[in-house]
Amino acid sequence: MRELTVSPKLPSVGAACHGAIDEAGRPGSPIIALAGAPNVGKSTLFNNLTGLRATTGNWPGTTVDVARGAWRFKPGDKVCDCAACDGDCRAGNVREFTLIDLPGAFSLDPLSPDEQLTRTLLLDAPEAELPDAVVVAVDAGHLARSLYLVCQLRETSHRVVVALTMTDVARKAGVEVDSYALAEALGCPVVVLDPRRRVGMDNLTRTVREAVPRPRPTPREYPRKAADDLAREDERFAWIEAAVDAGTTRSGEERLSTSDRVDRWATHPVAGPLLFLAVMWGVFQVTTAVAAPLQDWLDGLFSGPVSDIVGAGLAALGLGGSWVEGLLVDGLVAGVGMLLTFVPLMALMFVLLALLEDSGYMARAAVVTDRLMRTIGLPGKAFLPLVVGFGCNVPAIAATRILGDARQRILVALLVPFTSCTARLTVYVMLGTIFFGRFAGTAVFLMYLASIVAVIGVGLLLRKTLWRTMGSEPLVLDLPPYQVPTARLTAAVAWNRLEGFLRTASGIIVVTVCAVWLLQAIPAKPGAGFNEVPVQDSAYGVAAQAVAPVFAPAGFGQWQTASALVVGFVAKEAVISSWAQTYAVDEPLEGESAGSFGEAVTASFVASSGGHPLPAVAAFLWFLMAYTPCVATLAAQRREVGWRWTLFGVAIGLAVAWLGAVGIFQLGRLFW
Amino acid sequence: MSGPLTAVLAAFEAGAASLAEVASRTGLSPDVVSASVEHLVRLGRLESRELAMGCPSSGCGGCASATLEGTPGCGATGPDPGRRGLALVALTLRRRG
Repeated sequence: MRELTVSPKLPSVGAACHGAIDEAGRPGSPIIALAGAPNVGKSTLFNNLTGLRATTGNWPGTTVDVARGAWRFKPGDKVCDCAACDGDCRAGNVREFTLIDLPGAFSLDPLSPDEQLTRTLLLDAPEAELPDAVVVAVDAGHLARSLYLVCQLRETSHRVVVALTMTDVARKAGVEVDSYALAEALGCPVVVLDPRRRVGMDNLTRTVREAVPRPRPTPREYPRKAADDLAREDERFAWIEAAVDAGTTRSGEERLSTSDRVDRWATHPVAGPLLFLAVMWGVFQVTTAVAAPLQDWLDGLFSGPVSDIVGAGLAALGLGGSWVEGLLVDGLVAGVGMLLTFVPLMALMFVLLALLEDSGYMARAAVVTDRLMRTIGLPGKAFLPLVVGFGCNVPAIAATRILGDARQRILVALLVPFTSCTARLTVYVMLGTIFFGRFAGTAVFLMYLASIVAVIGVGLLLRKTLWRTMGSEPLVLDLPPYQVPTARLTAAVAWNRLEGFLRTASGIIVVTVCAVWLLQAIPAKPGAGFNEVPVQDSAYGVAAQAVAPVFAPAGFGQWQTASALVVGFVAKEAVISSWAQTYAVDEPLEGESAGSFGEAVTASFVASSGGHPLPAVAAFLWFLMAYTPCVATLAAQRREVGWRWTLFGVAIGLAVAWLGAVGIFQLGRLFW
Repeated sequence: MSGPLTAVLAAFEAGAASLAEVASRTGLSPDVVSASVEHLVRLGRLESRELAMGCPSSGCGGCASATLEGTPGCGATGPDPGRRGLALVALTLRRRG
């Protein structure tokens, strides 16, 4: 295609085209502008009408591409109605038009260079240089959207012809367009065509040839001196709505797409939340049931052969029994190995969540959550960072910036830590598997439910006390249609999340394992050297024993359990690894055998709860869910809301966690 | 006079949660509601922002909402045509001072 050679002096459609090269139209031939919103089939129509006899180039003085070409047809048919005409008037004897493909534009009130050029050529040019007619490509599938440009052009003296495309798409959606009724309502001709199949082209040619010789129409009346922009635009949309109503018929139920029918249930005020809960329960149930055998196998692999091989290798190097063996076998292999046992579980869960996202269902869950937030008086937009928080709290805190009101930002930044991030999931699954067996999935699901309850409860508490007058921001969600998930996208999303989790977790774990090992190697009582001290007498053990009594009323006052929670303050990813590390180096008492990690944890909860391990585990899980998620979240909070509110958030989290845990245990021990 | 745009804004204010709900409350066809919302965004009366359901730790490039160039999809003004996954768009009322 050759470059358009147009004199830069020419500022208008008419001036630009007269005298230009032959492909672009014969000099003196009527000029027709082809306008329309992007993606309505305008370019296909242009190519069909010009038969690729077109040139394309930047419009002078702009960077906007404009194509123009010769729209040729057979002369001879008498097309105009003027009394003196003998088939020899301007339209009757012409053999072609010069067709200008204007840049895509929704409106003549420009928001982009493309729309600015379209406005300049159609509105701002001198009348003598305006096109002889404007063909507006209109998408029948999105009629109202396309008609705004028609509405604005009808307010001018342009001869307008509507080229109605995509009627097959509209029909599939249950919308039939009556072109005669639509033409009557719009006050201009409407030609139904399908540019891809070259249907209706002759009709369009004939209609434009008929339109060109006619006098310019009287502009449509509209309230130019309306009270404000909205009033004026409202009048235009009322006109558009009337045209759509007059020109279309809808076939009742048929207009409901599959997405609409599913959404009747998925976003229903009662059925929607129940469906959401059922779906999430299914996700956790499938995840834990399918991944459990793999997790057990990996656990055995790392605690058995891998540890043995590393131990044997160190012994061969003369490092057996040294601090190096302690760090590598009891620290890194135990800690990182424990993390890796969660890989199948995390992978499966990420795949299932990616499937839900890619299908479009998670968008409906957002509607359900949003409605819940508003029902309890929290700002609707707050659901956005909270949903992000179920992935990771750090970006969720940053996402509070979308809230316009400073008090809303603080409130939501304080609530985000109660959303259960994926790092906490590993602990839920581990304890769920140990204590609840085949009901582990349900236990995990209940923890997510508890997380939602905590968000709502604390949110309401703060709304009723600190921020009673907080305003609300209306929010509407534009839901995408459902689709069959694609394997490529699902796999890519799941892999990216798994990779991200492993990268973050492994970095944190290596650092904390080293720190925990160091603290466990430092003696806090006299009589033992570095790395020779029993763990309960190490700096780590002594500090944990000092903290542990605080948790006694909640049923998990053993120092090993308390130490895991202290490490969890740094990052929840490190809870299990440090826990495993503690038990790996914690020698069994006399008369006891060294059992598995699960057995050790069970024995710990049985001992600390006075024989009520289940309520103690429930209390522990609540505490883990509710207290400070990690130092990275605290840093993000400080950045967004300052130190004062961050410390307030830590206090609220610890209070809710401890009070809730004590309540759960004390109540639970009465029944379990 | 009260036209479709005012009716759609009123439905926003009244707490409609989705465009289907706006259509149901206003009695307007989904097509007119969709066009009205799009126009209100152009007018600056509504804010349109694409959402993601969660951020992968690997950053925006690893997100289904990211564009093909790996730039963020969430928080963008409306869905990017080059995005990889579905677009959930939040529309919020913009208060005029």
